Amino acid sequence: MMEHLNNDFLIDYLHGQLPPEDDALAHAHLESCASCRGEYEAEAALGEALRSTARAEELEFPSMIAAEIWQQVRDARPSLASQLASLFRPAIAVPVAAVAVVALYFAAPLAQYAGTPAKHVSANYYLEEHAAQQAQNPLGERSPTAAQLIESSAADIGNAADLAEAADAPPLAMMAAADASR
Amino acid sequence: MGAPRVPLEPPTPEQKAFLERAMQQYGKATYNFAYRLTGNEADARDLTQDAFIRVYRAWRSFQPGTSFLSWIYRIVTNLHRDELRRRKGRFQEELPEDNAPANFGGQRPLAVTPIEDYVERQLGEPLSKALGQLSAEQRQVVVLADIEEYSYQEIAEIMGCSIGTVRSRLHRARALLRRLVERAQRPT
Ligand SMILES: [Zn+2]
Repeated sequence: MMEHLNNDFLIDYLHGQLPPEDDALAHAHLESCASCRGEYEAEAALGEALRSTARAEELEFPSMIAAEIWQQVRDARPSLASQLASLFRPAIAVPVAAVAVVALYFAAPLAQYAGTPAKHVSANYYLEEHAAQQAQNPLGERSPTAAQLIESSAADIGNAADLAEAADAPPLAMMAAADASR
Repeated sequence: MGAPRVPLEPPTPEQKAFLERAMQQYGKATYNFAYRLTGNEADARDLTQDAFIRVYRAWRSFQPGTSFLSWIYRIVTNLHRDELRRRKGRFQEELPEDNAPANFGGQRPLAVTPIEDYVERQLGEPLSKALGQLSAEQRQVVVLADIEEYSYQEIAEIMGCSIGTVRSRLHRARALLRRLVERAQRPT
């Protein structure tokens, strides 16, 4: 007869974290040993108690959190660096870049602010690329599609540069994919 | 909380949609997770708010196809740890890890506690209280392993430590929890 299982082993077993051989061993031992089974049940009961306590005390998401966050977002003002960076978007990049090059030539210290390079990729490229990704994503329909987002942002702004940026933004549609099973 | 006040950049339309969807879909879970870690609603609100501001700032670093919940739990866990470090000295929040009971070996100092006992004796409150007596790391690991039911691997990623550390923290935390609950159960 083997030794009894210690609590650390039982805790790992309870959480399904033992390698297969150990898992089988634990399972077999628990079948035949009342003492270890009692201890296992105590560990399992603690887990159940933690979950039922959490369920019983579950709180709603306070609306004041969202309100405070949106307030901060509304108060946001573009920084100097991002204002400069935005000048390098495709639609206005060429004339602005020309001016900037001239300006930089005479004002070298400004160079550090212009660290974000122009994105010389067309909006069409992003749109096609994103549409292709969407087509492969079965969960995409659960959320606003890329096309909808692009449409709405285009309506808001009507500007090719922002269109490119919106299409470039990746993760929203796939946010729920990995959590869907939880 | 005392997060550094780096000004926010105005949102792009997709960034705004991302934040909106994140709060709508995961706000409640995040808030409850923060509440489990802090044990009170005011700190949970601050923690949740700071976490979503981080989500807003760093939204482009979210990897599509990965779990958003794991991502925001990692943010919450880090913020919680930083906050406790900041407060250390002012409050006796932290319990040294070696305060926890050592490995039991073959002995069985704890009586068996069936689930009915927890329910009948309404141990919800003592259990929450006992949870509050653990160190921050012990509490995080118990919440993630037993309430959120993550694997050790996932917990290691969320807490930014090794699987071995997750395992030993969980063992100690559970042993300590059981001892604290036993003590609360005993008639005085
Ligand atoms: Zn045994």
